[in-house]
Amino acid sequence: MVVVASSLGFICGIPLALLLWVSSPHGLKPCALVYRVLSFLINTGRSIPYIIFMVLLIPVTRFLVGSSIGTLGATVPLSLAAILLYTRFAEESFSGISKGMIEAGKVMAATRMQIIRKIVLSEAMPQLMAHLTTLTVMLVGFSAMAGAVGGGGLGDLAIRYGYQRYDIVFLSIIVVILVVLVQSVQMTGDWLVQRLRK
Amino acid sequence: MAKKQSSITFPVIDIRGISKSIGDAAILKDISLSIQKGRIAGIIGKSGAGKTTLLRCLNSLDDPSSGKIHLFGEEVTALSGEKRQGIQKRIGTIFQQFNLLSRRTVLENIALPLEIRGLSSGEYIQRARDILDLVGLSHKENAYPRELSGGQCQRVAIARAIVADVSLLLCDEFTSALDPETTLEILELLSDLRQKLGLTIVLITHDMNVVREICDDVFVLDQGELVEAGTIDAILLRPQHETTKTLIGSLFQQDLPHRYQAGLKQEPFPSSHVLLKLIFADTVAREPLIASLVEKFHVPINIIAGHLDHIREIAFGRLIVSLPYEGKNLKNVQEFLLARQVLVELLGYVHA
Repeated sequence: MVVVASSLGFICGIPLALLLWVSSPHGLKPCALVYRVLSFLINTGRSIPYIIFMVLLIPVTRFLVGSSIGTLGATVPLSLAAILLYTRFAEESFSGISKGMIEAGKVMAATRMQIIRKIVLSEAMPQLMAHLTTLTVMLVGFSAMAGAVGGGGLGDLAIRYGYQRYDIVFLSIIVVILVVLVQSVQMTGDWLVQRLRK
Repeated sequence: MAKKQSSITFPVIDIRGISKSIGDAAILKDISLSIQKGRIAGIIGKSGAGKTTLLRCLNSLDDPSSGKIHLFGEEVTALSGEKRQGIQKRIGTIFQQFNLLSRRTVLENIALPLEIRGLSSGEYIQRARDILDLVGLSHKENAYPRELSGGQCQRVAIARAIVADVSLLLCDEFTSALDPETTLEILELLSDLRQKLGLTIVLITHDMNVVREICDDVFVLDQGELVEAGTIDAILLRPQHETTKTLIGSLFQQDLPHRYQAGLKQEPFPSSHVLLKLIFADTVAREPLIASLVEKFHVPINIIAGHLDHIREIAFGRLIVSLPYEGKNLKNVQEFLLARQVLVELLGYVHA
């Protein structure tokens, strides 16, 4: 569930972030309309607390995968949230690239696509990977909330079998598993970022 | 555009009446200048004078609000799209911040302009290596920018700027991030490249020391206007405009020792000494000036501060001297010096 969601977040988030960044007032091709609409959509989506977000999306989830409960049902809002979150992360990374690098590309008479591919994406890659790690960890947290609305997964186990049955031992074991999961994601992510940094 | 006959030389850069305003602020005001092929030109001015803006109009990062720019004989302000890009590809730029890509090796960084032109790696590797060799960093081929010193980074940046058949190199305040020794090395490299590759180079700087080292022509900008232009010799030896003089002033230790500054008066008083600033150049500098003065007028001249220097073959210098004030003596000395084309400036009067 989390893997699917973060992958979607990454895959859809980057192009969206690029679109946002390029169309921004300081971007490669400013376009107020695109920028404002996208910004609005993304910011609104992000401001809704996830647990409410999930519930609000139930009709959409039902439409897309036929059911709002279970693993598949939980994956829809999770993926959408992932895309919204990651777009903002990625856009920050792109904005953080020094203007000078981009100008260096411009004076070499590079096209917009070349600047994006060879300079922007390349320079931002370590950051993008770091953000992906952060995203994945956040999604693990969100997926636990999915358990509260019938989504299954570790969160579901923890709440139903651990909390509602007052089984502290069981709850603790689940927590430990979650912590280990998050730690390994974080460590893998950090290692990847180091390798990419050169 | 058909190539012109080699016997007719047209300026590489020809700027006519360029102005640029951002909102109400006029950054450039009606600037016209031209730079010939193979020259190294320095555009100098204090911060905010508009020099960087001018450079950015040359490499198309910015557009002037009005006026025309001709590069390599073509009017670029009237061009757009591919044609403009074509001209742009003949221009290389180096920046204060190097702007090297951190995830590419030195060789890959240098090869970037060639990649952009669509050359395959087989085609561009050798060319990149040759240029790397030209800037003296062959041994750093596989290093990453973070492993290099500032001077090495700038060399890589220069290599990158010239790798793709470039005939004009623009340098934007590139010395500000380097120490004086490294700056000198880079300037020598530029001079060397001009010789070997026939490049035309434009340097933007606020530092007259940089200009003095390698520039043939100098353009002085002040608050968006071109206030003075000329060859380096003319500018250094006979500056006209206040701004130029101020910028040159930074070349020498102009300051009087403090104890003189403190006691400096503008009116003569009994048994005072008069302080004179002598500015002299070339042929005159070779004469034993002071000795002649002492001999001829029996005037005890005291040298307070001085600096003698050379721009290539020309010697020039400034001396601050003091002598006992006595109307007649002063006049004699002044006449003697003026006759030998030494400029005499009266600084004031001090106690002996």
